[in-house]
Amino acid sequence: MKAARDIGLLFQRYAVQLLRNPVWLVVGFSTPILYLALFTPLLKNLVGDGGLPTGNVLDEFLPGILALLAFASGAGSGFSTIFELKAGVIERFRVTPASRFAILTGPILATMVMMFVFDAVVVAVGYGFGFSVHWAGLAVLGVLLGLLLIIMAAFSIATALVTKDISGFAAIINGINLPVLLLAGVLLPISLGPAWMRVIAHFNPLYYLVQASRVLAGGTLSGPAVWQAFAVLVPLCVLVLAWATQVFRRAVA
Amino acid sequence: MDDVITTRDLRKSFRSRRGPVEAVRGVSIEVRRGETFGFLGPNGAGKTTTLRMLTTLLPIDSGTATVAGFDVARQPRQVRGRIGYVSQLGGADELATGRENLILQGRLYGASRARVAPRAEALIELLDLADFADRRVVTYSGGQRRRLDIALGIVHEPSVLFLDEPSTGLDPQSRANLWDHIRALAAGGTTVFLTTHYLEEADVLCDRLMIMDHGQIVAEGTPRELKQQVAGDAISISLRAGGQSDGAAAAALAGQPYVRELADDGDGQVRLYVDDGGTALPQLIRLLDARGIGVRSISMSEPTLDDVFLRQTGRSLRDESEAPGDPGPGRKEVAA
Repeated sequence: MKAARDIGLLFQRYAVQLLRNPVWLVVGFSTPILYLALFTPLLKNLVGDGGLPTGNVLDEFLPGILALLAFASGAGSGFSTIFELKAGVIERFRVTPASRFAILTGPILATMVMMFVFDAVVVAVGYGFGFSVHWAGLAVLGVLLGLLLIIMAAFSIATALVTKDISGFAAIINGINLPVLLLAGVLLPISLGPAWMRVIAHFNPLYYLVQASRVLAGGTLSGPAVWQAFAVLVPLCVLVLAWATQVFRRAVA
Repeated sequence: MDDVITTRDLRKSFRSRRGPVEAVRGVSIEVRRGETFGFLGPNGAGKTTTLRMLTTLLPIDSGTATVAGFDVARQPRQVRGRIGYVSQLGGADELATGRENLILQGRLYGASRARVAPRAEALIELLDLADFADRRVVTYSGGQRRRLDIALGIVHEPSVLFLDEPSTGLDPQSRANLWDHIRALAAGGTTVFLTTHYLEEADVLCDRLMIMDHGQIVAEGTPRELKQQVAGDAISISLRAGGQSDGAAAAALAGQPYVRELADDGDGQVRLYVDDGGTALPQLIRLLDARGIGVRSISMSEPTLDDVFLRQTGRSLRDESEAPGDPGPGRKEVAA
């Protein structure tokens, strides 16, 4: 009960900070739109003989963009943690009796709400260019995107608290970003790759989300890809959150 | 004895690339209710590390600490509700206004929205924040920001307020203004525990203080008691370069019966302590003149806390550079 109240307070604080920092909003909005505008045209030529299934390329590509957005919003969370660490904000909160879990999750929830706003914009723009919208599928996809964002954000924030400086943190996050993105089939389906790549991809949590996102966006609510994604992301989310709360509690900041 | 803070043999080490560093080596303190207590020492003496242990931010390696009636290691939550802490960094939200910061802080301590608004108003009054309370913190001057930081530290009316280097980075005028506010808080009954490497700050604010160096307490008492340890008057002699060496001056003076203590820093400066400056000074001048030792200037003063520090550690606090700092939150530190 007290944790819920603290989460609410810190959610509100972080949301206000985001809204008062227009640079963040502009960058946040422009990234997915740029992907749609500058990457989709390249895919058009791959349809059919190029190896992609026929139909509107957006139906294949847009769900991947949503997954990418969840991944990147979460992974970037630690940057503001580093900033707040340097500014003494985290320490000021840690010395209050506020719930440690709330100090961690308040900002994550605010980031999640912002992500859903961006997702809505991406879907609306995509719809204008022929993306077929299946509401129920998108709703279930939203749950999966939320899970991935929590996983990435908790991981990113905890990593920031452990490394404590921007260079060490950026090295770890960037080092993880690229292989995870490439091995998830976000931009191009992993089915285009050789067998070894498809095997490695199965160890990548993002891969399951991307697979599920295409099925769900196509309007299919059940199927192996969907339950596999839940089976991977739910336990992972619990694990990462427990670890991150532990990092906070151990008072390393 | 009505102690608000009691510690017994507090210790803390950090791992570094060159092996473990003992930052705090057996600190035992007792702070009484209502007093303003200070840690004076150079940067890196272990002041901030001790403070961070007392405020539940850093695990204690060994020893015990009780703050506001609760054990810091075993009952951190109870301690947090009863203390205020203002770090060197401050930590106010820059994109929020001063008032918004105060209201959020009060609510994190559990106060309802209805109760926290008048409290914020009272603090704005108390710390003279009215002119800028509704502007974003990013526009504040150093002194304004520091006063807001202190207001944030006392929003829940804590029984003890910890201030880490409260006036570092402030201009003299803002510093004097801040001191007035801290004194007013203390007069209102708040127990204040502060760290500082400014002699004047310790002298002006503290009822009682401890001098800390290399993780240990080297002296303890009221500023007056400490200064009385260095009996009599302090005389500083600045020697003329190119003449006799400092060594010769020091050797000549050391044998004189009226010189109680002498410190030769080897840089053309000799500092000595005498019982009565009035009678010692003429004799001293005659002696130096007879030996042909050229003098640039001589000054006499009552002992300062710096003399106490010099006597205890063999170094002057004024000479300490700003470079080596306590391991603060921004620094890489791993509990050993």
